[in-house]
Amino acid sequence: MHRIKTVLLREWAEAARIKMVLFSIVFLPLFMTGFATYLVWQGRSLPPQGQAVLLNTALIYFFVLPVVIPLSIAAYSIVGEKEQGTLEPLLATPIRDWELFLGKALAPVVPGLLLSWGAFGAFLLATWVILGAISAEVLSLPWLLSIFALAPLLALFAVFVTMIVSSRTTDTRAAYQFSSLAVLPALIPLIVYSARLTAVNLFFVGIEAGILLPLNVITFYIAVKLFHREEILTRWK
Amino acid sequence: MIETAGLTRKFGDVIAVEDLSFAVSEGEIVALLGPNGAGKTTTVRMLSCLIAPTAGRAWVGGYEVHQDPTAVRAIVGVLTETPGLYKRLSAQHNLRFFAELYGIPDPDRRIEKYLRFFGLWARRDEPVAAFSKGMRQKLALARALLHEPKILLLDEPTAGLDPESAKSVREFIAELKGEGRTILLCTHNLPEAERLCDRIVLLRTRLIAEGTPEELKRRLFGSRVVVELANPRPEIVEELRLPGVKSAEHSDGKLWVEVEDPRFVNPILVRRLVELGAEIISVREAETSLEDVYHELMEGDSAQD
Ligand SMILES: Nc1ncnc2c1ncn2[C@@H]1O[C@H](COP(=O)(O)OP(=O)(O)O)[C@@H](O)[C@H]1O
Ligand SMILES: [Mg+2]
Repeated sequence: MHRIKTVLLREWAEAARIKMVLFSIVFLPLFMTGFATYLVWQGRSLPPQGQAVLLNTALIYFFVLPVVIPLSIAAYSIVGEKEQGTLEPLLATPIRDWELFLGKALAPVVPGLLLSWGAFGAFLLATWVILGAISAEVLSLPWLLSIFALAPLLALFAVFVTMIVSSRTTDTRAAYQFSSLAVLPALIPLIVYSARLTAVNLFFVGIEAGILLPLNVITFYIAVKLFHREEILTRWK
Repeated sequence: MIETAGLTRKFGDVIAVEDLSFAVSEGEIVALLGPNGAGKTTTVRMLSCLIAPTAGRAWVGGYEVHQDPTAVRAIVGVLTETPGLYKRLSAQHNLRFFAELYGIPDPDRRIEKYLRFFGLWARRDEPVAAFSKGMRQKLALARALLHEPKILLLDEPTAGLDPESAKSVREFIAELKGEGRTILLCTHNLPEAERLCDRIVLLRTRLIAEGTPEELKRRLFGSRVVVELANPRPEIVEELRLPGVKSAEHSDGKLWVEVEDPRFVNPILVRRLVELGAEIISVREAETSLEDVYHELMEGDSAQD
């Protein structure tokens, strides 16, 4: 645990010195919360049903946020080590492969989730100010499950995929591009809700989680498999 | 402290290291000397459990690399081929990170000790990006030493440094030798190997020769004696066919005589020269540079290929 924390803190210290990363962790939450709030503002005089539709759309932003924030940190995570040649001395320490992997995977996910949940809190506050009350819709089980269960699954998936992709390339930009793959599962609710195919409901949240859980297990397995010292040093070029 | 037996590593069809067997005893500093691509880095990586051997075995500090990789990593300090530092982080921050990974108690004091030792204390808070190559190499050495390993694997510590920094890095290594650490030093720099190391292992994929610098020289060239004469006479070499004399040449008024064992042969040689009417000014041992030995061995090896 101690070594995982050590890796995690170093990742943060380094990420905090990269402009691109700072941009995404400061600007993105502000921007997304602003947009979601704007939707609520627009619908402030609509009947409750109309407001529910708008809120459904607003939820999308809180799916995108926990996926996109970690991406910018994760893409750098391995490519940065390779560019600086730091993997070899790192792997020469007594750290275990899985400890390193977990430290690297959690480093982007934790701030991504905390910022997203913070943004969600700000959004709740804004709806309370605008509508005079927090809509029961937003505090319903499907919403809360979406924010607190689906979003972490989406974020983890994105990070696992990014780590696999960036382990295969030395070019940060290529890593960013390929890791757009990682956003795909987050796009499903985005499409479903913005096309208004369904409102946020338990059934849909269940299906999405049912897909994501095994998907996460598989990508985690692949990523850990790839995360062996030998592989990292001799194949990750 | 370090021992390998038939250590072999292949990358696909490329054989990087083949059937390498050598040993380094406690407190010894041994050079792994060889040209680029000789397999030095590959050997160090196998010894630090970063890659697995294709065949053969290795023991480091009593642990078998394949069975106890984590134990080996904990007792070995590695200076990798490139310094490998986090450029955005300060010197101190870099060391603290590694100190945590090695689980060093009281890391601050240890970090201060080594930053001072390498003359980097005043610049501890600067990001490594601002450091010169020499400073980075010293910081990387500090990192390798941080957990006070008994065994050090140094991969080309002076490669790519300006002469000034290379010299100071060599001085640090000489100082470490004084502390009784066991050091395996990879280098393609002969004078460095000769100056710093007790023994040299000559490697080019396979082990080519092994011994102290003196042994290597003697094995190849025997000993050479230079005799300076007041009345030089080139024909005299013809009359020096004595037991124990391997060859004799005359040039610039001096005799160059290759002998088997100078302690026995020199007195006989001198007596013979006096009998022949030579007036001897001086008799001394000729210097053979290790460079000659190195080239001779490497050429001999490629002739076999
Ligand atoms: N990861 C690798 N993949 C393929 N070939 C490698 C790899 N590492 C080293 N080699 C090959 O192994 C040989 C020895 O390399 P190396 O150990 O780096 O030599 P040295 O450190 O003595 O210069 C070279 O031919 C090199 O190309
Ligand atoms: Mg090398």
